[in-house]
This record gives sequence, structure tokens and C-alpha cells, in this order.
Amino acid sequence: MDTTSMLQVSNLTVQFGSLKAVNNVSFEIQRGEIFALIGPNGAGKTTAFNAISGLLFPQAGQIVFKGTDITKLMPHKRCKLGMARTFQVVRAFNYMTVEDVVRVGAYNRQGEDTVAAKVDQMIELCGLGEVRQRVCGDLGLATLRRVELARALATEPELLLLDESGAGLNTAELASFMDLLRKINREQNITLCIVEHLMQMVMGLSQRIVVLDSGEVIATGTPHEISNNQKVIEAYLGKRVTQC
Amino acid sequence: MKRPKLLNSKNIAILVVLAIAIVLPLFLRTNQYVLFLATTVLLYAVLASAWNIIGGMAGQLDLGAAAYVGLGAFTTGTLLIRFNLTPWVGMFIGALLAMGIATLIGIPLFGFKVKEVWYALSSSALVEVFRAIFMMWNKVGGPTERYLPFSAEGPRSWYLMRFNTYVPYFYIMLALLVVVFIINHRIRYSKLGYSLLALGEDEDAVEVLGVDSRLCKLKALMIYSFVAGLVGGVYGCIYGYLHPSFFSTDMSLEVVILGIVGGMGVTYGPLLAAIFLVSFREYLRASLSGMFPGKGLEGLYLMVYALILIVVALFQPRGIAPLIKRGFLKLKSFVGVK
Ligand SMILES: Nc1ncnc2c1ncn2[C@@H]1O[C@H](COP(=O)(O)OP(=O)(O)OP(=O)(O)O)[C@@H](O)[C@H]1O
Ligand SMILES: [Mg+2]
Repeated sequence: MDTTSMLQVSNLTVQFGSLKAVNNVSFEIQRGEIFALIGPNGAGKTTAFNAISGLLFPQAGQIVFKGTDITKLMPHKRCKLGMARTFQVVRAFNYMTVEDVVRVGAYNRQGEDTVAAKVDQMIELCGLGEVRQRVCGDLGLATLRRVELARALATEPELLLLDESGAGLNTAELASFMDLLRKINREQNITLCIVEHLMQMVMGLSQRIVVLDSGEVIATGTPHEISNNQKVIEAYLGKRVTQC
Repeated sequence: MKRPKLLNSKNIAILVVLAIAIVLPLFLRTNQYVLFLATTVLLYAVLASAWNIIGGMAGQLDLGAAAYVGLGAFTTGTLLIRFNLTPWVGMFIGALLAMGIATLIGIPLFGFKVKEVWYALSSSALVEVFRAIFMMWNKVGGPTERYLPFSAEGPRSWYLMRFNTYVPYFYIMLALLVVVFIINHRIRYSKLGYSLLALGEDEDAVEVLGVDSRLCKLKALMIYSFVAGLVGGVYGCIYGYLHPSFFSTDMSLEVVILGIVGGMGVTYGPLLAAIFLVSFREYLRASLSGMFPGKGLEGLYLMVYALILIVVALFQPRGIAPLIKRGFLKLKSFVGVK
């Protein structure tokens, strides 16, 4: 077993009808790193996340997590193995309070007697102390992103998948969010895989990047390599730069 | 949040209501109709409180209550008629059977992620299917009523769970209600309860948090069907006969309406709703059949229910419980209790 490898995705293909949303994609995430998956709209990033977390099953390919083939495993079992994720469009539990939501995640590894302490710890870590008694339906996007992060972290993952968790945040919110992610990565030794549109966030955080376009991998490398890659500039950065 | 103590001020209020309920029959002893009504209110409150677990917490619009009630009634009654087994034991066998059937149905339904309207229809069909089965199954059912043995007095009366007054039934239902309240409270502040509340809102989101949503829903269904089966056992004894009409879609529907109107996921909501709606229904039934005898207008109460449901859905989508809660808080601050 490869001890440095956290997640190996090989030849992953997900089809919606005739559309290959993810087409023969392979990449590997190392233990402890911050890994980024980028690409223009509709590139297949969220679909890849859904396949990795088990919310949909791929037509072909294999997903190996910590040496275990999880391609056919149910999502909750993947979580038990140490994988957690957030959603691009926040999926809050609108009628539940923040602390109750975090508690749902905390039960993943904690029993009734220890769960409250875990909840307190996560709420503290994610800076949710002031809103812990509030109902999620009343909260704004920036706070909800933190709630999603807190409940995912409460499951005590080794690998955390973040789907555009910076989207919709203003500059200040983004900066503090990035600090939080760095802290989680460094202090809790959680491997992060981020999907991001915001280049500021990707370049600032990640050590390695895979670029998807129309479901296919078009480049792999460090932030520096990626920003100098002609194909990527054409497919992704180019569009962005001219837009700006 | 820590589990609130079972004896907080809210629950003390419930206890006071219970205490009143306990002495109520002493005053109503002579008026059997009011006692029957009170027993019916409690019966529906028990069913709606049990439904709260699968419907209110887990968000599954289950319309199968009458199937489990019917199974409980037929099992208990048949065991009494055939084997002279006391309903006090028979009702538990009936409840286990109802739970077993629910499990057999729940596994594929939840396994294939049958949800929302499809789940409602499937569970509703269950009631009709059982009615048809028991209509044709002449050994235990059939179109004519099967009367349960009766004894007016003494230990035999207790053995048969058959009485010439509604007082004992009232207390049996009251006891069941207390048990269901405690079960509700326990579940609500446990891992299962938090998981159910969350999966009722978003199943995928809860799955990736390590919750086995199928198993949670199955557990909720099992508890609910067990309670409904228990109620069914007593239901048969109250009516004194068995008939396939016990598998009644109207009853299922009423349970759901009480659960929703009472307040999804709120323990005492269904009781409140049952007190208001069931007595209203009985009143309506009595006055309608009095005004138009033999016209079969008694079923009209469902229409009134539907109207109430629409009003609640429009103005108070979380049910009437939050309203009462607000009133209660106001009252508390008014009285000056902390
Ligand atoms: N459930 C679905 N059914 C059909 N097509 C889908 C489904 N989900 C995604 N697609 C399609 O698959 C392609 C990839 O979508 P995906 O959401 O994975 O892209 P993405 O890279 O996450 O894009 P974005 O940056 O906009 O979030 C798109 O063309 C999308 O329309
Ligand atoms: Mg996406």
C-alpha cells in the first residue's frame, strides 16, 4: 500500500446520457497537501466530486482512497473511512440550529458522551460561536459556508473536498476563510482538495493543480507551471484575463 | 445542544395537562360519549405522535398508519378469538408483526430511494392492499364483522380487554401517549433524532456526513409501525369486532394531517392538533348526520380538514405548535417565571 497517496482517481468517466461530463480523468492526491481542481464552467469538477464522494456512481474508472477501492461504496461509508465534502450550492439544514447541524457531523466518530465537546471545538475553530443557537435558514452565505465547513470537519476527515467554498464571499471574508483552510491543513493535518474559480484562492493555497476542460484533464502541475501553461491560458485563464 | 431534562418547565406543563387528563374520567364517568371522544382524541394523538418520528423528523410523508393499525387489530383479535390469547400480549405480537411488515416494505422503498410523493403513494397503497387481502382472506377477515368475545365484569373482562365503559381504554391510550412522548423525546435528542431531522431536509448532504440515511429511515419506520400496531390491538378491543374497513385511508390521512398541523418534529404538537381537530371532527360528524340523516355526509369532515391544512400550510407552515409555544413564553414572562 502506498502510504503517501490519499486518493487515486484512475480513468474516471461519468456520463449523463451522451454527455461525458467527466472523461477518462486520472489524478492522485498526496497525503497532507492542498490540491486544487480547476477549470471553466461545466468542466466537470462538481461531477468529479460527486463521484469521489459517492453521490453518483461512475460509468468507468476506479477511485482508491487510502488504499481501499471505494468506487462502489455508499457515501456514508466513505465518510466513515475519512472523507468529507462541502457543496458548491450550500446545502444547509434550514430548520436546524448551527450547533445541531455540526452535531450531525460530529456523531460520525463521537458517542453521546463526547459529541458535545466535539461540537464546541468545531464551532470555536470555525468562528461560529455567536450564531451557534441560530437557525441556518436565517444565516447569510458567508456564515453558511463556515457551517458547512464545520459540519464536514466535525466528521473528523483525513481528506476534505471543498467545492467552490470561496464563491460568493467578499475579499475580507475570503481572506479569513483561506486562513482557516491553511490552519486546518497545517494544524489538523487534513488533506484538502479544493475546486475553485477564484484564481486568487487557488494560487494562494494549493501546492498542486489539475486543470479540467470539457471533462478532460488538460494540465497538471504546480501553480507556477499551470499559470504558464499555454493550453490552460487558452482554455481558462485566457478567458478570465480578457474578461477582467 | 444538550438533551433538555425530561422535567423542564415545558414538560411540567404537559404533566399538568396529563394530571387533568387522568382525573377527567372520574367526572365524565356517566357520560360515555364524551369519554369515547376523549379516548379517540388520545388514540389519534398517539398515532400522530408516532408519525412525528417518520413524518415530522425524517420528513417522509407516510400514509400507511392504518395498515399497521389494521394489522395490529387483526393479529390481536384473531389471537384472542382462535387461541384465547389475551390482547395484553396479543397487541405486542400484533405490533411486532406490523413492524415486520413495515421493515419488509421499508427496505426496498428506502433502498431504491423512493421519496416524497412516491413514498406517500406507496405507503398509501399499502392500506388498500391490506384491505383487499383481508376482505378476501376468509379465515381471519372477510366482509362480515368478526366479534370479539365479551365479558361485562370481573377478571375475565380484563383478560379480554373488553369493558362496558370507556374508562380503561382512556387510561390505556393515555399510558401509550406518555410512552410515545418519552420515545419521541429520547429520539429527538439522540444521534438518530439529529440524523432524521437533517435527512428530512437534505438526504445527500446528510449521507456525506456519515449518516446511513436508509438505516435511519428504516429505524424511524419500525418504531412508528410498532406503535401503530400496538394502538391497533387496543382499537379492535374498543370497537369489539374486526373488519377490513379498519384498513382505512381516511385514518392514515387524518394522522398525517394531525402531524403536520400539530407541527413537524414537535413532540406535543400532534396532541394539541388531535384535541382540536378530532373533537371538531366528531362534533361535525354528529351534527351533520343529525341534520342530514342517512345522507352519508359524515365524510365531509375530511374536506374541512383539507381547508385547515391549506390555511396552516399558507400561514403557519411549521404547524400550530410554534404559536402555542410563543403564547406559552408570553404567559411565562407575564407570570414572571424564569
Ligand atoms: N445531473 C446532471 N444531469 C445532466 N447533466 C449534468 C448533471 N450534472 C452536471 N451535468 C453537466 O455536466 C457538465 C459538468 O458539470 P459540472 O457541474 O460538473 O461542472 P463544473 O466544472 O462543476 O462547473 P461549475 O464551475 O459551473 O460549477 C455540465 O455540462 C453540466 O451541464
Ligand atoms: Mg461545480
